[in-house]
Amino acid sequence: MLKKLLHRPQAVVGMLMMLTVLTVMAAAPCFAPNDPNKIDILHKLAAPCEQYPLGTDEMGRCILSRLIFAARVSMSISLPAIGAIAAISVLLATFCAYTGGIADRIFVILSNIFMALPPFLVAMTLVGLFESKAFSIIISIVIAMWVWNAQVVRTYVLREKNKPYIVTCRMSGCSELRIILRHIIPNIFPHLLVLYSTGLSGVIIMISGYAFLGLGLEAGAAEWGAMLVGANKLIFSHPELIAYPGLCILFAAAGFNLFGEALRDICDPGED
Amino acid sequence: MLTAENVTKKYGSFTAVDDVSVSLGDGVVTVIVGESGSGKSTLARMLSYIESPDSGRVMLGETDMTSCSGSKRRSLRKNVQLVMQDAASSLDPHQTAFQLLEEPLKLLIKLDKPHRVSRIGELVEAVQFPRERLKNKVSQLSGGQQKRLCIARALAAAPDHIIFDESFSGLDVTLRRQILTMLKGLQKQLGLSFLIITHDLDTAMFMADRIYVMRCGRIIETLDRPQSFIDFKEDYSKELVKAAEYKRQLLLNSLSRGQQQSAGKENMKESL
Repeated sequence: MLKKLLHRPQAVVGMLMMLTVLTVMAAAPCFAPNDPNKIDILHKLAAPCEQYPLGTDEMGRCILSRLIFAARVSMSISLPAIGAIAAISVLLATFCAYTGGIADRIFVILSNIFMALPPFLVAMTLVGLFESKAFSIIISIVIAMWVWNAQVVRTYVLREKNKPYIVTCRMSGCSELRIILRHIIPNIFPHLLVLYSTGLSGVIIMISGYAFLGLGLEAGAAEWGAMLVGANKLIFSHPELIAYPGLCILFAAAGFNLFGEALRDICDPGED
Repeated sequence: MLTAENVTKKYGSFTAVDDVSVSLGDGVVTVIVGESGSGKSTLARMLSYIESPDSGRVMLGETDMTSCSGSKRRSLRKNVQLVMQDAASSLDPHQTAFQLLEEPLKLLIKLDKPHRVSRIGELVEAVQFPRERLKNKVSQLSGGQQKRLCIARALAAAPDHIIFDESFSGLDVTLRRQILTMLKGLQKQLGLSFLIITHDLDTAMFMADRIYVMRCGRIIETLDRPQSFIDFKEDYSKELVKAAEYKRQLLLNSLSRGQQQSAGKENMKESL
């Protein structure tokens, strides 16, 4: 699969963008020229200079450092959120779809109920539930989004379990658990990779959306959505303050999306 | 001895198999012929215990498969193996040929690694599967190799009975002949019992010690040691014979047309 990926410009670009975001996230203190929260009252809204490569915001904080640390904040919320969504949706949907019968019927009813609730509304209701803002955001995203992913996983499993090779696996002495773990999951894994890599970009946008609505992290936190809100009132005098975090969101989301789309093209049976 | 005693299978109001009794004697090649939708494959699936009958029972020696628990049935799988029609879709696309052959050896007869490797060597030799292709996945194998791999997988656990469900349809004439000759040799050599489901009377006559003719879910004629097509007595069986002869005539006509065309081209070349 890696070979196929490297032959696709879209996948290579997506991978590079993804790796950039992840590297910046992992090594934020090394890349950031200043403390992202340090206020320099004498250099409010300063133009780019040697000390502040992208200038400062209305409180004199280094914009570049804040953008770099914001990647860490975004990823530290979106990665656990997508991880939890993946774990719940794969476990639950695989079990219910493979077992069928009453378990699957209950799953369908439950998921229909959850799908009737708009994800953003669920998130807005739950976001203030816990003391830790980051944890609240993760929980609200997971509750709002798991069902959409679980439905897709269910479809993959249903399609896979009806393929003739599953009969052959039974004839080879496989238990039901082995069929799921050694045959169904590995066969749907590329599709899951696509689902969750594109899902991650959605979560990144969702986190920024929360901040934009004032439901995000604490005021003043270095986060792309929060930076957008902060720069809102300066849109005419300093439009770059809105453009920078906006571009960062676009870059991160586009990276994961491009990679996911390329993966989907490769996984398409027509490709073989 | 594998026997189906008065088995019936219904799908809604449609009766696919209606009170059928067949027995697969040890070391005997049994063939079931009949048109599409006559219930042959359903019977095969019940005999290989992929589906359970609505009434009647499937006996493996003295064991009633219909009343076996899941684990007991799994342990009995090594005695009855099924080779399906479409080799490509009946093998896990994510596994290599080696892994596909290894699984039944590991799960059904619990061989350790070195013995598994040597047994796989014997199997690929028996079915004339190229050893260097063991590292390849199913999609990288030719149709003939996939078919040979399916047969090797079925032979892996040294079963007493192998059921071929339309396994030879869709193969070109030469390949079919090669595989049937190979199977005949293996059957004699290993004393296996085969049940071949086919609608091709030529295959039936070439392989069979006993032929059952099925129509509308019922066995309408049984022939032991058939010598020629004139042994068939039932009107429906004679219709099948006529259809087979018509197919053969079409083939002969197209062959003679091809010969005439190539002779004509030769004459033209000479006159030029």
